[in-house]
Formats: sequence, C-alpha cells, structure tokens
Amino acid sequence: MDNATELAANQPRPHGASWHRLLPWLIPVLLIGTWQVAVNAGWLNSNLLPSPWSVVQDGIALTQTGELPRNISISLFRATAGFAIGGSLGFVLGLANGLSKVMRGLFDTTIQMLRNIPHLSLIPLVIILLGIGETAKISLVSVGVMFPIYINTYHGITSVDPELLEMGKAYGLSKRALLTKIIFPGALPTILVGVRYALGVMWTTLIVAETISSNSGIGYMATNAQEFMNMDTVLLCIVIYALLGKLSDIIAKALESLCLEWQKKGRTQ
Amino acid sequence: MSEALVTLNGIGKQYGATAALHDVSFALERGQFIALVGMSGGGKSTILRLIAQLEQPTAGSITYADPNLVTRVMFQNDRLLPWMTTLENISFASHDKAQQAKAQAALEAVDLAAFADAYPSQLSGGQKQRLALARAMMADPQLLLLDEPLGALDALTRRNMQQFITEICDRSHLTTLLITHDVDEAARMADRVIVVKSGTNVYEAKGAKGKDAEAVAKVADEVLKVILAPEDEAARV
Repeated sequence: MDNATELAANQPRPHGASWHRLLPWLIPVLLIGTWQVAVNAGWLNSNLLPSPWSVVQDGIALTQTGELPRNISISLFRATAGFAIGGSLGFVLGLANGLSKVMRGLFDTTIQMLRNIPHLSLIPLVIILLGIGETAKISLVSVGVMFPIYINTYHGITSVDPELLEMGKAYGLSKRALLTKIIFPGALPTILVGVRYALGVMWTTLIVAETISSNSGIGYMATNAQEFMNMDTVLLCIVIYALLGKLSDIIAKALESLCLEWQKKGRTQ
Repeated sequence: MSEALVTLNGIGKQYGATAALHDVSFALERGQFIALVGMSGGGKSTILRLIAQLEQPTAGSITYADPNLVTRVMFQNDRLLPWMTTLENISFASHDKAQQAKAQAALEAVDLAAFADAYPSQLSGGQKQRLALARAMMADPQLLLLDEPLGALDALTRRNMQQFITEICDRSHLTTLLITHDVDEAARMADRVIVVKSGTNVYEAKGAKGKDAEAVAKVADEVLKVILAPEDEAARV
C-alpha cells in the first residue's frame, strides 16, 4: 500500500493524449471551415457575412495601420484597471465580511441589494456622475467584476471546514496563522472560481462601456464599423473578444494550476 | 500512585436543556495510558473536548498540574491540511530550519519520509493517521488526546496503528487519553479503562496493556458487561 503513489506515478501515459489536446479546437475549426466553404460556394451572402479569410485580411490591414494594436491596448488597459480595482474591492469586502460578524452585519445586506441591480443599467447614472471618459468605463468594469469576486470570497471564507479551524486552534495557531495557513488556502478554490467568472463579466461589461461616446477600444471599433456596415471589422472585433476571453480563461486556469496544485495531484490518484 | 497531570472534579456540560455530562470525576496520572469507553453519545468525546479546552464545562472544574501544559489532539478524521505537503502538514509550513529538521525527523519516526512531498490526498488512511500522529508529537506534548483516531481504518491497519501508537506513547512516556467505542482496543492499549455511560464515569477497570490475548479478552468482557448493563445496575467508581 505504501508503494501506491510510486505505482500511480509510473503508469505509462494513455495513447492519444496528444489527440486530446487538439479536441477542444475541433469544433471551432470545423465551424470556421464550413463557414469559409459556404461563402466560397455562394451559400452565404459575403456582404452580410464575410468569409473568415476576409476577416483575417481585415485584421492584417488594421494591424499594419496600427489601429488594431492601439485599440486592443486601450481595451486591455481598461479591462485590467477595472479588474484590479473591482477585484481588490470585492476581495477585501468578501474577506472582511467573511471573517467578521460585525462587518457582515454592517455591509452584507447593502452589498446583496446592490449586487442584484444589473450593473449595465447603471450606465446613465455613471455618465451623469463620472462623465464619458476613462473613469466611467473603468468604473463600470469595476462594478461588474466586484460582485462575483465578493460573493465567492465571502462564500469561500465562510465555508472553510470548521474542523480544520478547530484543529488549528487546538494546535495553538495565532489568528494570523489561522488566516494564512487555513482560512485563505481553504477559501482559495472558491475565490478562483469567482476570478474566472469575473474575467468573463469584465469583457462583456467592457464591450458595452466602450460604446459610451468612446473613440477608442475594440468596442468603439465594432460600433464604428457597424455604422458603416463594415462587417469584416465587426466580425473581427467579435473574434478578438472571443480570443481575449479565451486568453483570460487560460490565465485563470494557469493561476488555478499554480495555486491549486494539491487538488490536481489528488485527482490523478 | 503517580502525580495527577489533569484532574476532573464534578464536571458537567449542558447544551441548552440537554445535560451531556454530569458529575464526571477522575484524574489522568502522569505517564499513564487511559481509555474512555462507552456507547456512542455517552459523553466520551465531550470529556476529551473539555480537557483539550476546546469547550468549557458548565459545572465543576478541571485542574492542570502545569498551567503551561502542552496538549495535542488527534481527531477521528485526520484533519490534515489538503493544500500542504506531508512535511508542511507536520511543521505547518514553518520556514524555521530547526522546525523543518524536526519535522523531517518526525516523518522518519512514522515511516513517511519517502512521502515528504506528497499531499494528503495521495496517502492511504493509515498513512494519514500516522501523519496526524507525527504532527501531534511535533510539539513534544505532555498530554496526548486521541478522539477515536482509528475508527475509520480497516481492521488490519487498525491493529497495526494500535501497536504503533502504544510504542510511540511508551517511548515518550506520554500521558495519553484514548476515546474509543472498541472495548478490545481499550483493553489492549490502556493502563486504565474508564466506562462512560449516560454522561458520567460509572466504572473503572485495570487495562491489559502489554499482556496476552487472554488478559485483554478478560478486561474487555468485564468492561462490556458494564456498558451493556441496565442503568441502575452500573457500579460507580
């Protein structure tokens, strides 16, 4: 029985492991291929739905003029800033309310009420209070990101196994050690789920925020292209959002792999 | 008679309208291995939790010979931290070099040195309990409290662990309190076996630690009779 760990580690990798890596891309590739064939064959009106190749060519052109990299950079800045601010706020509030009954009593009800307001419906209020500049856009993203991270941090903290906490107290751990060695690591899987969800909300909020009298960003590019019926650029922006969303997901998964190695190792047994 | 390390005097514990314990009085003598046995819900674990100061009695008093007594508890479920490796679980991820060296030695003492970098999810049930024991021993406790630590193990692993725990405790001259509903286990491991029934200690027998199977069976039989006897027939210590 003591050699169970060694035996599991020495098992040969199953055949087709490299095939499994290609599997997630099978459907997107099939869809794009079918789409290209359909446009080439005239089954789809290329004025309304340009071919994938046409979209790629549009992307190359916009990259060469510098417009695409500039707008992506601006969108990335807004997304990152909004995530950092909203995420930090959500985390701190979740931590405080999760750890302290007094804080919970003071703040949780208010936060729960605010959470149920669709944050995009706050756009008119944001414009009145903050104008139409960067502050308004970043604020909207912050609000969108804050609540999933708050909820998951709060839930993670309050759901830490009480038996582990009791063990920590029985072993004389200080309050600080209880927080750093038991509470926070115990809550981390749930917090990271919140981060993953918040990253999705970040992009959907940004798309809308960049339609508010904006003159830069991917959302602006899409809105501007739509007004001129430039479907190549509209589709390009959609593809970019999809790729950025996928990139966010990859980053979130990498973060989970880094922080939750212990979960992964348990699953392989 | 050895010096009493911990003395319970007329201990009571009330949970709302329910009296979980009443009038519990006995002493844990230094260096002894004492087992508390009884049916589930009889109050054994509550007594352990009071001694461990995880809860406070609602009546009576618990006196400790040493106000700085180092006590460690081993629970029924290992309560290992899943996000820490085996070595980190023992030292609670301390970066102190002396602690790390001590943790490594503790791992070797429980035959888990080869699993220093493994996570608890990669260990068997018996290995996890050995790790939990090593963690408890890290602080060089004077009092070790075992709350049915072997309950979840299979019969063979359980027997091995009984022997293992007895050896470790004897080697360290530890005062040990074991909670168990297994009368054979209590008779085999303990110097004294105390029966807890309906929230109070009703009987005490001399344990058969270090003796042969026949002696163990005799003590187990004696204790089982008391546990199964109707309430009014139980003899009080």
